[in-house]
Order: sequence, then structure tokens, then C-alpha cells
Amino acid sequence: MDPAVMKLLAVGLAASLGMLGPALAIGLIGYSALQGIARNPEASGPIMTNMILVTAFAEAIGIYALIIAIILVFVG
Amino acid sequence: MLKRRLAGVPLWVLAIVALLLLGGVVVGPMGLSLLGVPRPEPELPAEVVFHIAGFPITNSILGAWFTIIVLAGLSFIITRRMKMVPGRLQSAFEFLVGWVYDFCRRVAGEENGRRFFPVVATIFLFVSFNAWLSLVPGFGSITITNEEGHAVHLLRGANTDINVPLVLALVSFLFVEYFGLRSLGIRYLSKFFNLGPFLRGLRQVLKGKVGAGFGAMFSGLIQIFVGVLETLSEFVRILSFTFRLFGNMTAGEILLLSAAFLMPFVFPSVFYGLELLIGFVQALIFSGLTLVFLTLAVTHHGEAQETHKE
Repeated sequence: MDPAVMKLLAVGLAASLGMLGPALAIGLIGYSALQGIARNPEASGPIMTNMILVTAFAEAIGIYALIIAIILVFVG
Repeated sequence: MLKRRLAGVPLWVLAIVALLLLGGVVVGPMGLSLLGVPRPEPELPAEVVFHIAGFPITNSILGAWFTIIVLAGLSFIITRRMKMVPGRLQSAFEFLVGWVYDFCRRVAGEENGRRFFPVVATIFLFVSFNAWLSLVPGFGSITITNEEGHAVHLLRGANTDINVPLVLALVSFLFVEYFGLRSLGIRYLSKFFNLGPFLRGLRQVLKGKVGAGFGAMFSGLIQIFVGVLETLSEFVRILSFTFRLFGNMTAGEILLLSAAFLMPFVFPSVFYGLELLIGFVQALIFSGLTLVFLTLAVTHHGEAQETHKE
């Protein structure tokens, strides 16, 4: 196959497959955070703070995939 | 001019904007060389603008200096004539500083919060003002011809150059180790090189209590392995901080560039709001995670083992 075609394929697969995991993770985090708030509405402040913190961890993994895709596009 | 207003905007303003929009949508695909614009090419490494004594000054360094000048200037202006009953600018900054201080105290406790506040607040203000100032209109539009004759942007958000997040991550790593060593002394290193339980088990075996000794040696081996993992995670943390901030900011900038050249006025306004929010959230996450790791480093090893969250 043409190297240019392979490169485009690689970029698309890297970006899209890499985002599946973090998207699922953030959805699960939101699910548990909402369950916690539903059980105990008074604790919604600390729950939200911790939810944002853990979401940052999960999102960082998606950003790694994005960086690989960007590097593939601009280098080589 | 009609005196009517639609959604608070005078009608003639709306008419002009609609005309511009229509004109852009119609003329764009036709590719007129007069009204056409070249496609934006985002560059990953920062471009050099000029040299000072052989040291290359890139446009992201200029962006960082711009942020520093703005922050220092604002702080100087506000603290010139401080009043007991603050004016608007002073109360805005009191709110900002008080909010970050409460955040430190909530996460780290009373006296630790006081100790960690300078580092955390510096990182927070630097990262967030870097991100926000790069959204000011005109920031990326000023071009200058550098020494080699290319036309480069004069200013670039400092967070989009990978060196700046790397340096911030290294600074936060150094401060975590410094505060850990200062609070716990040399016992802080027992978190990473945990030979205590293993040696205790060995001594038990040599004294003759073979059964209990071997059990203690085994759990001591696991403790050593956990120590190695902790050391590794300290260093991987540097990389993760760097790439999180760099990736978010660079992706945002590329997004804004592409959106602005895809459909001007309408499309990018949504992404501008998103970029404002992301700048703030990334600054909060960087400084918040630094604060959390500082707190973990300062608590005693016994407590840290029970509340081992990572």
C-alpha cells in the first residue's frame, strides 16, 4: 500500500481507537459521581471536586492518543 | 438607522454581520486570490524570532514574558493603594487569591495549606493566564519577519511549547521532594527504598524463628517492589503532567485555528468558550494535583500506607 495512505490510516486509527477508553472511563466516573450525589445531595461539593480530579486523569490518557496522532500528521 | 433592536443588538449591526457572513460563505469556495486566505499551518516547535547574545528567543518565550509582565503589572497596580474597603479591581483579586488559598487549605489542612500556597498559586496563575491571554484578539495575528526572512507570529501561548509544561512539571516534582525531605527528614526516602521489613524478616530467620521469619521476608520483598513502583510513578508523573497540559493547550489552539478558517465569526465562538473553560480547568488540575502530591509526600509513611490512593 502507498505510504501516504498508510500514514492517513494510522493517524485516523490512532486518534479514534485511543479515545474509546477515556470516553468510557469518563462516562463511568460521571455515573458513579451522579449516583453519589443522588444518595447524598449534601455532599455534592466534595463529590464534584473529586470527580473533576479523576476526570483529569482519565482525560490525560485520551490526550496522549491525540498527541501521537498529531505527531504522526506533522512528522514524516 | 432603524431604532429597533433584536436581542439587544441594533438592527444595522446584525445586518452588517449577516452580509459579511453571507459574503464569506459565497466567496470562500470560489477561491478568489484577492479575498482568499491561505490555510493555517500549525507548527509544533516554536519559531525563533531573534537572538540575544547567541541565545535563540522563540515566540513562546515572548508569550511567557508577556504573561509575566501582565501578572506583575496587575499585582503592582493593585497593591499600590490598598484600602480597607476594596475597590472593584482589588476585590476581584482578593476573591481570586482567597479562592486559591481556601482550596489549598481544604486539600492540605491548615498549616500545610499555608506552606504550599505559594507554589500552587504560582503554577495556577501562570498556567491560567498563559491560556487566557492567548485568547485575547490580536494575540496570534501580529507577524514579524525573523532573521531568516520567514514571517512568524510574534507571540504564542507559552503552554503550547512543550518546554514550558516540562519545566513546570519538573518544578512541581522538585518541590514535592523538597517538602517531603524537609518534613520527614531522611525517613522520606524509606517510601522508595523500603528495606526495613525485609531485613527484619532476615534477622528473625537468623535468630531461629524460621516460619515467621520467611513470612516476614516475603512480605518485605513485596514492600521493596512497592517502593520501586513508587519511584517509577514519581518519574512517570513528570511526563504525565507535561503531556496533559501540552496536549490540551496545543489541541485547543489547532482547533481554534481550523475553526476560524472553516467558518468565521459563527463557528469559533463556541470553541472560544470551550477554550476559556479548558484553560481554567487545566490550570486547576495542574496546581491541584501538585497540591495533592505535596500533601501525600508530607504525611507520615504509616498513614500514607493505609490511605494509599493514587
